[in-house]
Amino acid sequence: MPNIVEIAVNTEGFSTLVAAVTAAGLVEALSGDGPFTVFAPNDDAFAKLPPGTVQTLVDNPPQLARILKYHVASGAWTKSDLAEKAQLSSLESSPIPIRVAPDFEVKNATVLAADIEASNGVIHVIDTVILMG
Amino acid sequence: MLPDTPDNLKQIIGIYKAYAVPMDFYWRDLLYIAEQVFLNPLPAFKYFISKDYLDRDNAYSGDNAALRIWRGGGDAHPELREFMAKGESDRKLPKLLHHLWHDRVNMEFAEACMQAMLWHEDINPKFNAYLDSDEYRANSDRAIRAYFKGNPVMLGLYKLFPEMFHEQVKRLSYYSNLGLFWEVMAPVFFEMSDLYDEGKLTSVPAAMDFLVNGIFAIAGRPIYHHAYIKGECYEIIPKSQGFTWLYEAALPYVEAVFYRTAPFRGTKSYNAQARQVPPEQKDFHYGILYADVFPVGSAGIPPTLLMQDMLHFLPDYLIEEYSQHGRGEDDSLIQLGVTFQRSMYNVTSAVIQALRCALLYPLDDPNPEHLKANRAFFEQNLDRFKRPEARLQDIQDQSYR
Repeated sequence: MPNIVEIAVNTEGFSTLVAAVTAAGLVEALSGDGPFTVFAPNDDAFAKLPPGTVQTLVDNPPQLARILKYHVASGAWTKSDLAEKAQLSSLESSPIPIRVAPDFEVKNATVLAADIEASNGVIHVIDTVILMG
Repeated sequence: MLPDTPDNLKQIIGIYKAYAVPMDFYWRDLLYIAEQVFLNPLPAFKYFISKDYLDRDNAYSGDNAALRIWRGGGDAHPELREFMAKGESDRKLPKLLHHLWHDRVNMEFAEACMQAMLWHEDINPKFNAYLDSDEYRANSDRAIRAYFKGNPVMLGLYKLFPEMFHEQVKRLSYYSNLGLFWEVMAPVFFEMSDLYDEGKLTSVPAAMDFLVNGIFAIAGRPIYHHAYIKGECYEIIPKSQGFTWLYEAALPYVEAVFYRTAPFRGTKSYNAQARQVPPEQKDFHYGILYADVFPVGSAGIPPTLLMQDMLHFLPDYLIEEYSQHGRGEDDSLIQLGVTFQRSMYNVTSAVIQALRCALLYPLDDPNPEHLKANRAFFEQNLDRFKRPEARLQDIQDQSYR
């Protein structure tokens, strides 16, 4: 079974995320054993950010890595596992608020595709880049 | 929060321009102090910025910018250089005389803002946690020893009172923090003024949108503290810590300076036992959004020294505006202070909208639950302006000058 990074690379619509993960130097970490839960913003989610936002981050890998780590939690959490949880602790350390019903939502993002299994965790595709705070 | 009228637009843009010129000095000198003056025990010349720092290229504007986002120049603004040469007296005197006569840019305002950020430590938890970490202490120790190498008196004092020295380095890290914050704001304000002059910025909401886009464009800028000692760079807070302009500088700045600061000393006495000063720092509301804009001489809020700085760089249309109202030239300092307060409500609106964009939902979101969350967020923000001393009500009226 492919890992989280391999799935993102081979799936259409995640080129910005893959470029960002590469620029931030997180490829190796996200290819590791984990397991991780990744809330993966698609290309449309990145395109919604105002102009310049992504460029400034790509130019500054540690800052970009911090934002990306906010999209990752330890452990493989499927939608049904998350039904009991109000939040997950992100690798950035800030909490990620989660709601499963009526819609599956992560902070201010909506999950477009849930429970994509990878060898080292679970991916949930989201429609908005989430930010701490 | 600020009504969309041509007069308000003219006032806020004019004052942004007048603010941007001294701000161009503030950020340069803040970084000069944090990086070069460092722990000088007698920093009498810390406001005598070096030529290198006046010529230093802005990271986000000018031809040599690492990432050009704004159109302005890279080195110090020509109006700033002209003022630094001649001052208010309009005479080319030695720098020291201008300094002693207080005919100069008032860095004390910048330092008061830095102090407010340092003092309200709960508003910047990640940054402050790092300042208290062993790694920061080790970095700070290395820099202190390097700076005082060959100075047995200072090294002896360091051995006796290490905490005092580390505390000073923490202060300097905040100098760097605020300097890096304002390095971004100065070209933003210059560009807004240029766009207005060219007729391309035509409403108060458009001004707010320009600020919102600016906040996002630069949100990920690194906040760090490097000190240069005998030509060597000491990374006291390395960029690799991942601190960002938005989280570790902009938001704490707004909370510390716009909302909280501290009761000003001078014309008014406060009785803490009678609870005239809140027991918790988080309940302080003495910032520019609440200030009675009166020239009490304070470095902080109300920002008399900043008002004096801005007076030197007012565009002609604001000089004319002020001469037609109030007591004309005699009270233009207060009039521009009130304009500054108006303009900071516009900046606060931009910050609230930017946070809504980042953390909540679009204004036209079809999901009623999302709109409810947006509403709760706005209400929570507006509740802070229900206090009697808030000036939100006043700025609705054009006669508040």
